[in-house]
Amino acid sequence: MIGDGSMVLVAAAAVLCGGVASVLRYLVSVLLGGRGTLQWAVLVVNVVGSALGGAVLGLAESGVISTDLRLILLGGVAGGLTTFSTWSVETVELALTGKWFRSALNVGLNIVLGSLVATAAWLLVQ
Amino acid sequence: MTSLAKSVAAVFVGGVLGTSARLGLDYVIPHGDDDFPVSTLLINVVGSALLGLLVAGIGPDARGWLRAGLGPGLLGSFTTFSAVMVSLVSLTAGNQFGSALLYLVMSVMLGFAAALLGLRVGHRAVQRRGEQP
Repeated sequence: MIGDGSMVLVAAAAVLCGGVASVLRYLVSVLLGGRGTLQWAVLVVNVVGSALGGAVLGLAESGVISTDLRLILLGGVAGGLTTFSTWSVETVELALTGKWFRSALNVGLNIVLGSLVATAAWLLVQ
Repeated sequence: MTSLAKSVAAVFVGGVLGTSARLGLDYVIPHGDDDFPVSTLLINVVGSALLGLLVAGIGPDARGWLRAGLGPGLLGSFTTFSAVMVSLVSLTAGNQFGSALLYLVMSVMLGFAAALLGLRVGHRAVQRRGEQP
């Protein structure tokens, strides 16, 4: 199996990856923030992170990657890259300013595309 | 340091701390792939409330790097969307359709309600500060 190590090193690697992934998410929001009518930045990171998450789950289930590497990639990289809090706050802010359609679209797109790519990636690596 | 570099550094530090807190809670309240992910639900609801509070409650005079470090850094990395999607896949694959649906509905309803509560409380705190200079 790829990626066996001591617990402290694994935890350190996971949280460092979480920090780097957060910076990536922030840079995406700086690049895409305020463009167009949709909350593109959160949608992009959430869909990419969900695809990564589905693939890692599948690879871990079939024993290709260790539980250590699973924690680093799933908890660190995908967990740090995606965000629930920015998604929920942005959605509620849209609704509070009367933009009901965009608010509903923001909910639907993240859930539909996120679960679709997670399932597809999980199936592809089987 | 430029303001972007300062913000990136703050987001990195916040991201490390937020990821640590999330993985720590996952360790304290563990869940298997076929179990209801209580820790993730708790994390996303609490994180949404705190971000709402921060967004509405922190004044426009607050430093940009501090705002970035606490928002996208700490709370952005504390909460997670991918873990919700991964749990939906694993619960569905384990024929736990009821749990998967309940988990999704609870995450969205409670998470959004928490964000609304945080925004309202933060907004009110700012108004009160304005009335009592």
